[in-house]
Amino acid sequence: MNRRVLAVGLLVVVPLIGILVLNIGRDPHAFNSPMIGRPAPTFTLRALGGGEPVSLAALRGRPVVINFWATWCVPCYEEHAVLVAAAREAGDSVQFLGVIYEDDADRVADFLSRQGSAYPSLMDDDGKTAMAYGIYGVPETFFVDAQGRIAAKYTGPLHREALAENLVLAGGGKS
Amino acid sequence: MTPAIGRALILLALLAASAGAVVAFATGRRYSVEGARWTRWLGYAFGIAIGLANALMVYALVTHDFSVSYVAQVGSLAAPTWVSVVSLWSSLEGSILFWGLILGGYIVVATRMMQQRHPELLPDAMGVWLACAAFFAFLLAGPAQPFLTIPNPQADGPGANPLLQNHVLMMIHPPFLYLGYVGMTIPFGLAAAALLRGRLGQDFVGALRTWLLLPWIFLTCAIVLGGWWAYEVLGWGGYWAWDPVENASFLPWLTATAALHSAILTERKGILKGWTTTLILATFLLTILGTFMTRSGVFNSVHSFTQSAIGPTILVFLAVGLVFSVVLLAFRVDTLSADGALGDPVSREGVFLLNNLMFVLFTFTVLIGTVFPLLVEASTGKQMSVGRPYFDAMAVPIGAALLFLMGVGPALPWGAANGEQVRRALLPPLAGAVVLTAIGYAFGVRNAWTLVTLAFGGYAAQVTLGEMWLPLRQRMRGKGEAFGHAFVEGQLRRGRRRFAAYVVHAGAAVVIIAIAVSSTMGVSSEVQLRVGEVTRVGDYTLTFVKADDVMEPHRRSLVATVAVSRDGKDLGTLKPAMNQYAREREPIGTPAVRTSLKEDLYLSVMNIDPEAGTLGLLAMVNPMVGCLWLATAVMALGGLMALVPSRRRVEVIAPAGAAAVRPGLAVEPTP
Repeated sequence: MNRRVLAVGLLVVVPLIGILVLNIGRDPHAFNSPMIGRPAPTFTLRALGGGEPVSLAALRGRPVVINFWATWCVPCYEEHAVLVAAAREAGDSVQFLGVIYEDDADRVADFLSRQGSAYPSLMDDDGKTAMAYGIYGVPETFFVDAQGRIAAKYTGPLHREALAENLVLAGGGKS
Repeated sequence: MTPAIGRALILLALLAASAGAVVAFATGRRYSVEGARWTRWLGYAFGIAIGLANALMVYALVTHDFSVSYVAQVGSLAAPTWVSVVSLWSSLEGSILFWGLILGGYIVVATRMMQQRHPELLPDAMGVWLACAAFFAFLLAGPAQPFLTIPNPQADGPGANPLLQNHVLMMIHPPFLYLGYVGMTIPFGLAAAALLRGRLGQDFVGALRTWLLLPWIFLTCAIVLGGWWAYEVLGWGGYWAWDPVENASFLPWLTATAALHSAILTERKGILKGWTTTLILATFLLTILGTFMTRSGVFNSVHSFTQSAIGPTILVFLAVGLVFSVVLLAFRVDTLSADGALGDPVSREGVFLLNNLMFVLFTFTVLIGTVFPLLVEASTGKQMSVGRPYFDAMAVPIGAALLFLMGVGPALPWGAANGEQVRRALLPPLAGAVVLTAIGYAFGVRNAWTLVTLAFGGYAAQVTLGEMWLPLRQRMRGKGEAFGHAFVEGQLRRGRRRFAAYVVHAGAAVVIIAIAVSSTMGVSSEVQLRVGEVTRVGDYTLTFVKADDVMEPHRRSLVATVAVSRDGKDLGTLKPAMNQYAREREPIGTPAVRTSLKEDLYLSVMNIDPEAGTLGLLAMVNPMVGCLWLATAVMALGGLMALVPSRRRVEVIAPAGAAAVRPGLAVEPTP
């Protein structure tokens, strides 16, 4: 065995692996979102299937979960069931809202009739709401506390645990 | 149905590759004909299964079968057929599937070509190839499944990443990159086999060089095509940004180029065996590092795929590969004993060594610059970027030094040389250096590094052309042959590999000069124009004629029409545009480029409003960028010439079976 080769090799290789391992969980897109801690941008949007337009300001007083999604986004299917179940479980204590991102109403209605729904889906027709929240891609989910401030943001499909953890940050759910 | 068949094919590929790897290593220690045959058939089985899986995916993409998860993710009814086909590699799962296809192809071809000449080394090499194949099949079977079934398929999908749909080069760049990247698996397996067997004979180095050269050609093209694409699509007027993923493709190129040079010494003199194998192992590992960079989400760049679970899996593979290589080298490198000695440092051999040192220095420089930001962030939590200044400051002197060596090396004789010989070899090309520098100065070059580059480039050019011309003149003078005959006989038949190497050098010299000139001699201006207004950049006069709003099925284009003239002569119009894709919020610019060998006129839209009739225009004149693309083609051509087997080599292949393994026979005549 050539000890010198081994030593030099390990000297190069081990730190390299170390640095990469340390960075594996890192997300280069989502640095601490500047939105967190700020008042959530207000909006009044028409709900799919008619009825009164929904205004965020009117929901002050309890936590709100705002989920930006679209039917053309495959990860959104995965989290849909998670959100519906959580909304049913939370009942009136937390308000869930879906905001449709770049999609048309018929397709969304078709999707919801097949996959089920438990909370209003809002049409962001001119995309201004998505713009105000700085949506990078869907799905993205914002957790707004009872005072109307953004307490947390989650990028990518939500799973049960992540939803529960972030909901606690917004003062809702059980810790 | 389709997803189920796809999954079955992938499982089959996984099974064949892992079984093949096991059989290869189990029977390879003591060569058995039976074991070798099984290994080969399992290798072919992997190639066929993964090939069919790819065909199935292309079929699903073209027929818009949204029950296949990958199609649901990247397909769109509005997309033209060519976009549907290239979507195969536009997103994570498909790109891994495509990787499998290329690897399968390489394994099948390499196995067929080597089974007769190197039967004793093939099982070990195949074991390594198939282990890599098994890993990628595992990715497709687990963390990155392209063939998941979507139970309630939607009627339409979102379409592929618009940035990739924006230009035809996107059809070409990724396949070249994969052919380069994946192809490095073959020399990796061969080098590992040489270490495991403890022998690296002259004949085997030849095979190693060939299998390194082939992916090297693809990688060279891929890097430049990538730069070309960035230039034609991204609209900031440059072709290279030291982006982590650009670096990822550049790193293995550097080590592979070093290995191609050191392999010449290994082949000629039987020295540097351990060094050459180390470079080849490093090349493969750097391709895997590059794959990790693009697929893990750790690095942010245009190339980043969405974050996924496969980052950690690739990291494990990389770590295993790194440790395997270091341990293999440590235990086995001493078995590769040298057959000769280096000799006099002032000789061509000495320059080869310097060249290798420079390439390795370059590799470490780029590697550190790429990985360092991660280290800082992990320890301080701050985001930072090393950025251009560091890379430029390091790359410029190293590039110049390489260019210098490219001139000096071939000028020096092999072996020891006395002072008189050295003077006679090194002094005349100074004329070329002076001439090219003077020409540059006359054209207004004042940047010191650019002038240095021109001097070294002129030197290298004279040496290179001289070396290409010398054997020709000898034939024409000595044998009285005509130019055409002498060229075909002397350069294309007998001394082809040597001639080919100089063709590559000539191309490389032009590339380095073009980079130096284009990055220091360009002019640019940013202006706001109203319809009818005129601006000037360099010698060009630009008139903003009109702005149009064009709707297409998958995008909306805002197109500016700009009339171009020079010295009062009308040169037609250029139409830079801004494209808005249905699913993307940010518009994507498409610059318009007027290319000539001397200079490019490059127009890019910064903002445009057809209703108000306003245009924000970035106009640049980039000298010599066209030469860059052309010179790369010359490099690739030189590489291809070197690949074609020489006549004598073809004759050696004829006797089949083990009898053909006669060391030394497959070696080409040295000029």
